[in-house]
Amino acid sequence: MDHRARRAALVPGLLASLAVWVAGCDTTPVPPADPQAALVAKGRKLFFEETFGGNGRTCGTCHPVENNLTIDARFIASLPKTDPLFVAEFNPALARNFENPRLMREFGLIQENLDGFDDLANRFVMRGVPHTLGLRVSVASPQGPRTGWSGDGAPGDGSLRSFATGAVVQHFTKTLNRVAGVDFRLPTGAELDAMEAFQLSLGRQEELKLPLALKGTVARRGQEIFLANNLGKCNFCHGNAGANVANIPGLQGNQNFNTGVEDLPDNPAKLTGQKVPPDDGLGNPGDRTFNTPSLVEAADTAPFFHNNSVATLEAAVAFYNGDAFNNSPAGRLLTGATGSGIKLDATQVQAVASFLRVINALDNIRQATELLQTTRKMGGGREPGSALRQAIAETGHAARVLIEAGLHPPAVAHLERARAAARKALYGWVGGETRLADALGALESARTELVQ
Amino acid sequence: MQKIRLTRSMRLHMLPALLGCALATAAQAHPGTERYIPLGQSPGVSGKGAMMGTVVGYEGDMLIVISPAYPTPQRARMVPASRVWLDRSAAKQTTLVGAVTDLKPGRRVEIKFADGARRDSVEWVKIDAAVP
Repeated sequence: MDHRARRAALVPGLLASLAVWVAGCDTTPVPPADPQAALVAKGRKLFFEETFGGNGRTCGTCHPVENNLTIDARFIASLPKTDPLFVAEFNPALARNFENPRLMREFGLIQENLDGFDDLANRFVMRGVPHTLGLRVSVASPQGPRTGWSGDGAPGDGSLRSFATGAVVQHFTKTLNRVAGVDFRLPTGAELDAMEAFQLSLGRQEELKLPLALKGTVARRGQEIFLANNLGKCNFCHGNAGANVANIPGLQGNQNFNTGVEDLPDNPAKLTGQKVPPDDGLGNPGDRTFNTPSLVEAADTAPFFHNNSVATLEAAVAFYNGDAFNNSPAGRLLTGATGSGIKLDATQVQAVASFLRVINALDNIRQATELLQTTRKMGGGREPGSALRQAIAETGHAARVLIEAGLHPPAVAHLERARAAARKALYGWVGGETRLADALGALESARTELVQ
Repeated sequence: MQKIRLTRSMRLHMLPALLGCALATAAQAHPGTERYIPLGQSPGVSGKGAMMGTVVGYEGDMLIVISPAYPTPQRARMVPASRVWLDRSAAKQTTLVGAVTDLKPGRRVEIKFADGARRDSVEWVKIDAAVP
């Protein structure tokens, strides 16, 4: 056999090897056999890719996986000007009375017509975008499901399942006529089922059990203050740092309070001189109450409160020291029942915030670990909103909430190692399994730096 | 008269009652976006708690409809808080806020009661505006 013939004979073998290698690199998700997993996967795809025939937005437009399923000014600044979030800036039909581009870009605020669409120029509220983490443990109340910032965000039966229908009507429309079948299509029942399943799969599936055996001195003290009924008093409404009441016999689940956030002086959005009508909270007319958000996910989902009026976690904790809270109906009730309002000094505010940062990081690590394990089991990784992409984002968030307060540098180093390994698994051609194992190991090392 | 001094423990025991008074608000659905959902498509309500029917008449504050789900005409009490919407989606036009005068015999309607079990008042009624 001459040289040319030998080379020709090698070609089929090389092609076969290449085919095997390419198959090994395939990032197409393996269809899950578990029906619930299949429903979640379908919901994920709808959540991040389906525009419902509207203006180009998806649920993921305001709930992007890479930013903890919420938006803030920093994230918004990273988007191209053609992003559908900014549809009011380039779709003439939505140029007026749909969004306020300045308040969106500066404070991450979106426009909502919770009290109806009869007077679009004057009757609206400006609200932040709540993340969609931990919904399984933060929406239920004896009075029914509480969705959105004031507990009444969904049409129909008011459930989380129905929420997407209201979101399409409010945020996805091509024109302000909001005609179903023209300006958007409504989600089908099957689509609502899938999106509900996906949303319920996000974040925590159960409550924390405090106290945790935290290793950090300041965070450990913050936990004590948080739980103390005569000091922080946080645990009354944020049981186990979640969204449900605790230690109050006869009450359970997620509840609404008027904590006086609307009465804060120098609300940043109002300082701009833009029109920001008062937000009357639950109902129409509203009762000025808003439902209790979970705190486990707080540290990496700034800014805070329904109107994004407070930018940092430390300032959000300090809010409860101020007149706006202590003179509010909720503050007065607390004072009447415990003999005093909330008065924390700067070190105590910092300690509570440090505690919240650490439990947020621990939850990020838990989520990232589960998501990497899912990736190992089911394959895939490169599609939008994939488990691997989510894991990378969660790992980054864990590091960031610690860095912002100078907490646990060794844990941060492990987290950065984990994130780098997961990114190599996402973008690399070979060694994905090894990278995922490295990432999982580093995450565990980070966790053990934070808690016993 | 002897003054009663509340100890911290007593105050803490009062907290549930105080908060309970403050938290009597019920969860509610979003009435704004509901307006733009056509008849029969309200999630978790259409085909469940809501009643589809055809208007027979309007007497006093009572809307009277016949519904395939019931052998006899059904009466639904309209109250000031009841919302009326004219669904024009079939004509590809926006939904309008309506009034009880729009509840004309022969029009197809969907009715949601404020309390699905007691059915003592109407929360909203959607009218198919395709039938004049």
